[in-house]
Amino acid sequence: MADTHPIQVVNLRKHFPRKRGLGSVKAISDISFNVEQGEIVGFIGHNGAGKTTTIKCILGLLKPSEGRITLWGNSPAESKVRNKIGYVPENPDYDDSFSPMEYLSMFADMRGLSGMGSDWLKLLKRVGLSKWETTGIRQFSKGMRQRLSLALALQSNPELLIMDEPTGGLDPIARKEFREIIIEENKRGASIFLSSHILSDVETICDRAVILAGGKLMAEGSMAQLLGEENLYRITVLSRKTGEEIEETIPEADLQSRIDHLRRDNLQITRVEMALKSLEDVFIDATAGDSK
Amino acid sequence: MKAVFTFSLMTLRMLFRRRTIWGILLVILLALAAIASVPSFDVSNQGRFILDFGLFGIELGALLLALGLAANLYPRDKETRTLMPLIAVPLSRWQYLLGRFFGAALVQAAALLVTCLGLMLILLFHKLPIPGDLLPATVLIIVEGWFLLSTVFFFSFSTSPPLNWPLTTMLFVVSQMSVVEFVNILPSAPGLMRAVRMLLPHADVFHIKDPIAHGFEIEPVYFFIAIFYGLCYSAFMLSLALAVFRGRDLK
Repeated sequence: MADTHPIQVVNLRKHFPRKRGLGSVKAISDISFNVEQGEIVGFIGHNGAGKTTTIKCILGLLKPSEGRITLWGNSPAESKVRNKIGYVPENPDYDDSFSPMEYLSMFADMRGLSGMGSDWLKLLKRVGLSKWETTGIRQFSKGMRQRLSLALALQSNPELLIMDEPTGGLDPIARKEFREIIIEENKRGASIFLSSHILSDVETICDRAVILAGGKLMAEGSMAQLLGEENLYRITVLSRKTGEEIEETIPEADLQSRIDHLRRDNLQITRVEMALKSLEDVFIDATAGDSK
Repeated sequence: MKAVFTFSLMTLRMLFRRRTIWGILLVILLALAAIASVPSFDVSNQGRFILDFGLFGIELGALLLALGLAANLYPRDKETRTLMPLIAVPLSRWQYLLGRFFGAALVQAAALLVTCLGLMLILLFHKLPIPGDLLPATVLIIVEGWFLLSTVFFFSFSTSPPLNWPLTTMLFVVSQMSVVEFVNILPSAPGLMRAVRMLLPHADVFHIKDPIAHGFEIEPVYFFIAIFYGLCYSAFMLSLALAVFRGRDLK
């Protein structure tokens, strides 16, 4: 049966040689994960965790030292595969002597797309660059360059959108607009692989997340799995010695026995509430002890 | 090939919008004007003098254009991260390489034709005849310029930009040397030196300035063989550049 995973990464390892031939630096250590058709997968990790290296391996910009990467079962180098991808790089930049319209029409020609100028105007409007279509990119801010990058990625109606920190450095309104476009693209049928530092974005829009730290896969799963299917409760008690409030989080199954135990010890329970676990908690737990 | 063609045009437009090309062109034209203004002791030799040094100036211009236009293309694309969106999706590495090369080659050819026109104007200004082989001689220099351009591309993928200039210039100088001159560098190993010289490019085949200056005719077949040689060597250098580029990790 043909492999239909838009992205399949199997036992990927990547190390870079040190200068002067003194061994090598491990950037990625044996990671494996998939992106299924039609899902939005968040790819999260600290700075230097190996996210961009993994993305560059997926795109064929870096050669894996070991392991296998396939896009719909094919090598990333194949043109039939590349034509189905949209890529938003981290900190994108473009030759600043051109305008967004020039870039879009040149990229369309290079991709063999049949779109017209009016299509590109609509696209620029969609990403919030409608008044800047003929302005030289040299006048663009970082956020505007990111918007252009998104327009170029969306130009071919890609089946897979790979985004490396697309909302980093954007203001909250622009971030919201980017999120909405990502969701729209997903509804259109595109699979999304989203690397981001902004955990609230990942938590809001992603179906699954892959957590990376120090080049290793620390956790992977659906949001429900990562955030915990079991309900957690937070109990607040007053310390007898200091009179300060002490919090304790426990699973629902242990709640009653814990309350009974605290009462037997004559501790005053001031509050019992449901504790909602955030992706940030999961991320901190998963990467504890590996902040580099 | 449509992607290569589009990317070549993009490169061409980009290079024309940068100031480098205009600066180099101005320097070459000023050098030609300076050569023409040198008084000759013998009026009958003045045409020969202007043609000889003028064509030499255009040839040096070809080297300057190759380095000025192309030495920084790939390193700059990499440094400013304009390379990533291009290579990641719409272009393969060979399409990027050929697109950049053809764009730069067209700009270089246009600039050299302008300098040839400048030389013609100088000859007309001095009321001297324009030899029929001046344009073919310029075409040969353009082909030599493409060979130099392909060399610059090879070094830009395999070394750092500061090394590109001396290495290309060194190859340019060596490529002008005859076998005898090259063997004289290390006379103790004539066989080895002769073999090395055979492998290195022979840019002397592109030089017909002396016969033109002295009014000798050049056989048309010579032009075709020289052009064919130049194009083959350029293709060889680009293949080497692509082999290096394909093996590169784009961090």
